[in-house]
Amino acid sequence: MNDFKENYMRKLLALAACAVMAITVAACGSDSKSSSSGSSGGSAKSGGSINGAGATFPQPVYDEWGARVKDKDGLTVNYQGIGSGGGVAQFTAGTIDFGATDSAMTDDELKAATKKGDPVHVPSVFGAVTVSYNVQGAKKGLKLDGATVADMFLGKVKKWNDPAIAKQNAGVKLSSQDITVCHRSDESGTTKLFTTFLAAYSPAWKSGPGVDKTVKWPTGTGAKGNDGVAACVKQNQGAVGYVEQAYALQNNFTTADVKNKSGQYIAPSLASTSAAGEGIKVPADLRFSAIDAPGAKAYPIASATFLLVYKDLCKAGKKQAQAKSVKTWLDYALSDGQKVAPSIQYAPLPAPLLSAAKKKVAGLQCNGKAL
Amino acid sequence: MEAGSVATGGGRSKLERSPLSGLPDKVLRWGLTALAAAILLLIAYFFVRLYSEARPAFAKFGVLGFTFDNNWDVSKDVFGALPLVVGTLITAAVALLIGVPIAVATAVYLVELCPTRLRQPLTIMVELLAAVPSVVYGLWGVYVLIPKLLPAEKWFANTFSWIPFIGGGTVAGPNYFIGGLILAIMIIPIVSAISREVMATVPVEHKEAALALGATRWEMIRISVLPYSRAGISGAAMLGLGRAIGETIAVTLVIGNAPQLSGHLFGQGYTLAAVIANEFGEAASDPVHRAALIAAGLVLFVLTLLVNALARWFVVRAEKTGGSRVAEGMAG
Amino acid sequence: MNAQPASLPGVSPRRRRTDKVARVLLLSATLIALVPLVLVVYYLIKKGIGAWNLDFFTTDPSGRFFGDPGGIRSAIVGTTLIVGLATVIAVPTGIGVALYLVEYGSESRFANVVRYFVDVMTGVPSIVFGLFIYIVLVLGGVAGGFAGWKGSIALGLLMLPVVTRASEVVLKLVPDSLREAALALGAPRWRVVWKVVLPTALPGLVTGSLLAIARAAGETAPLLFTAFAVKATTTNLGAQMNSLPMQIFSDVRQAQDRLVERAWGSALTLVGMILLLTLVARLVQRRSRLA
Repeated sequence: MNDFKENYMRKLLALAACAVMAITVAACGSDSKSSSSGSSGGSAKSGGSINGAGATFPQPVYDEWGARVKDKDGLTVNYQGIGSGGGVAQFTAGTIDFGATDSAMTDDELKAATKKGDPVHVPSVFGAVTVSYNVQGAKKGLKLDGATVADMFLGKVKKWNDPAIAKQNAGVKLSSQDITVCHRSDESGTTKLFTTFLAAYSPAWKSGPGVDKTVKWPTGTGAKGNDGVAACVKQNQGAVGYVEQAYALQNNFTTADVKNKSGQYIAPSLASTSAAGEGIKVPADLRFSAIDAPGAKAYPIASATFLLVYKDLCKAGKKQAQAKSVKTWLDYALSDGQKVAPSIQYAPLPAPLLSAAKKKVAGLQCNGKAL
Repeated sequence: MEAGSVATGGGRSKLERSPLSGLPDKVLRWGLTALAAAILLLIAYFFVRLYSEARPAFAKFGVLGFTFDNNWDVSKDVFGALPLVVGTLITAAVALLIGVPIAVATAVYLVELCPTRLRQPLTIMVELLAAVPSVVYGLWGVYVLIPKLLPAEKWFANTFSWIPFIGGGTVAGPNYFIGGLILAIMIIPIVSAISREVMATVPVEHKEAALALGATRWEMIRISVLPYSRAGISGAAMLGLGRAIGETIAVTLVIGNAPQLSGHLFGQGYTLAAVIANEFGEAASDPVHRAALIAAGLVLFVLTLLVNALARWFVVRAEKTGGSRVAEGMAG
Repeated sequence: MNAQPASLPGVSPRRRRTDKVARVLLLSATLIALVPLVLVVYYLIKKGIGAWNLDFFTTDPSGRFFGDPGGIRSAIVGTTLIVGLATVIAVPTGIGVALYLVEYGSESRFANVVRYFVDVMTGVPSIVFGLFIYIVLVLGGVAGGFAGWKGSIALGLLMLPVVTRASEVVLKLVPDSLREAALALGAPRWRVVWKVVLPTALPGLVTGSLLAIARAAGETAPLLFTAFAVKATTTNLGAQMNSLPMQIFSDVRQAQDRLVERAWGSALTLVGMILLLTLVARLVQRRSRLA
């Protein structure tokens, strides 16, 4: 009996010891390498690996850029879509290499971020916030104006065949289904863009929930990320939700034609998204919003999204190799990336904005020296 | 005979010890004591740190204000956790109402009525409910439970809309009820396991006495087993409650994440645990929001602490006064 | 001489009926309790097995929005490493504390305090552990931002009370007579523990640890903002790392069907791993002479 126990115990201890050794080797062995020479498979040209987090609005295009920049430069970009609020928060806390947000940082957020350095907004692409719906029998292109959309999200318009909707859609048969609102549960730049639009056309919205990355939604289900709202719309009959164009395309959503400032009902598309960027005046720190653009063909809920980096990356806590990798990423975004974006319906930056952004990236430093 | 004459081949008696031989013993004792003390310090630091991080929120809104104000507004930096507390309590209540009777009934069946051959397999199956992770229950809840139950919920809400909490709003897909139902499923294994343990300690004599007096099987259970186990079962229910209060991931996927007091069972809601999971990535650099989330965690923690303390008290009482319960049961 | 005892009244039909109804209800309740289990397993297999193929286990999530979504290799590797490290931290510590409580702490006040607080820890919601580690280690900037090992510590905190309590129960079951016999033969205390107590309790200790590991493998909340997530397979516990629960949590909220299918496939994998651990734990328990 003793022999059996001894044997058993010895075998178990040996197994445990092997496991411990394997784990320690795994942990320490790769700890000694700096994380910039981490998991780059394939053709490692400059290699490196950077972490970013933030808005889900541009996640499709960032993921596509990430895949391409890996093939081109061997750079691995880990991007987590946690919402613009999360992106700004983690960027300010210094836990990531770059942040991403659809709405430019507010003055308060800017002040909090200056603890680690000088935050720089780099616009990357223009995207559009669609009003997507899942209603039996309803086709694409339901005409809605800002006031009606606001009333739907306020819970004042409760059914799809409400007169407010029917008025704008003469001749369209509308179902009597209840409207189920899908909105964000996390802090979202997409929400800020959307609520900016709603507040412009609905005094009730402006004085009620207001404009912010997260508001007190009077009604509806909360979901995380653009992907979550898309899932909510897909799963609920009679649902309406606001999601970025790429998500609507991916899921074959029917999207509304939204009335813009010029009074035209515009469908979200590459052309109408680009039109929103034309002729806008942009301040020196590049913090702007293109919502409710004046152009005749402009989609009214389109705007740019931003990448956030500190001007002096090394002073903010990054190693030099890391800082270089971040610059490689930004350079890609503003050059080849601009050519790739249209293939997934994100509009490239208009020329004056693009050159301003490039200047900002050229000015990035590491401990005072240009990268 | 001298004790020291027990000799070994080496010359020194096996019973004599060298002065150093006490050292490993001392090392072991003090090493283990230090370990236990270190763990205690860690736990203490855990409480202290959480409290100090939560203090700014309590300072700004007051302890009662934070816990009972009905206004969780992230954009305006105002944090009153009432909708969260209520949501937590509603889902926990639904979980208990559904889960405890089923779990206790299961325990009774497995201990008293189940044929011996089936006992092991059925017991294992009930325990396997605990092996399914929270996120998998959430996945199943979103794609199976919610769509399949929606028509039934709508019918129920329409038919019984005159009952105050049932009617009164559109039936949403994710809602309090589904949250409570998933929690009920998750607490069944633990409540059942503890109830089974408690019922297995009922002295055989009590049961035989009842049977000898001509009781049917069910009457025997009602007279001897249940009264004896009452306190222990209450303890088990409290432990289930503690688990239900703290469950995060499954709940956040099926409750709708609306920081409001929906006035009806089939409306969207929020719980303390779910709000922490959803918002703490965004609160990193906003001191008030961060303090509010940690304060929510602290409220959650205190709730589970109270519930578990209550559970422990019940179980201890059960061990002490089990006997007298039988007499009560027999008289009743 | 004994008098003939009066015959007892028979069981009335009403009481017989109540008995029958009660039996049926109790059986139904048991079956109802098992319905969710059956349904969960059924749907896991039905919706998850379709996702299983060689690519599923050998490629990483590509993150590509429009192209091939990829598999879950990084999640499986990540869970193995993170939970592995958590086990290395929590199991020896938990057994050590349990040893202290059983061998040296039966009367001492200090031991009772330790026991009470460990008990309290079993009730802490897992999200609170994640929050604690996030604040202390991640925001506190200890060796960088998000990291796999920080997730391991959060999981370890979760496992510690479970391992301690289970181990204490098992160690208490080792009969004192065994200890006393060894001591009477002149063995020092440490030898009694090493050669008699631990080997006797070993199967029970293994069972308790395996069950704690199975529990930790399924936890999402402690990893949300500690290990965070990445797409690529990495063995560097000092950086962000993917894990099965995080991968499932991320995929479950998607609208794209193939991502949801991947969630089911990952869930099936995770539940499979946990069931395997639970099965091994129970088998080991059977071989124990103490249970």
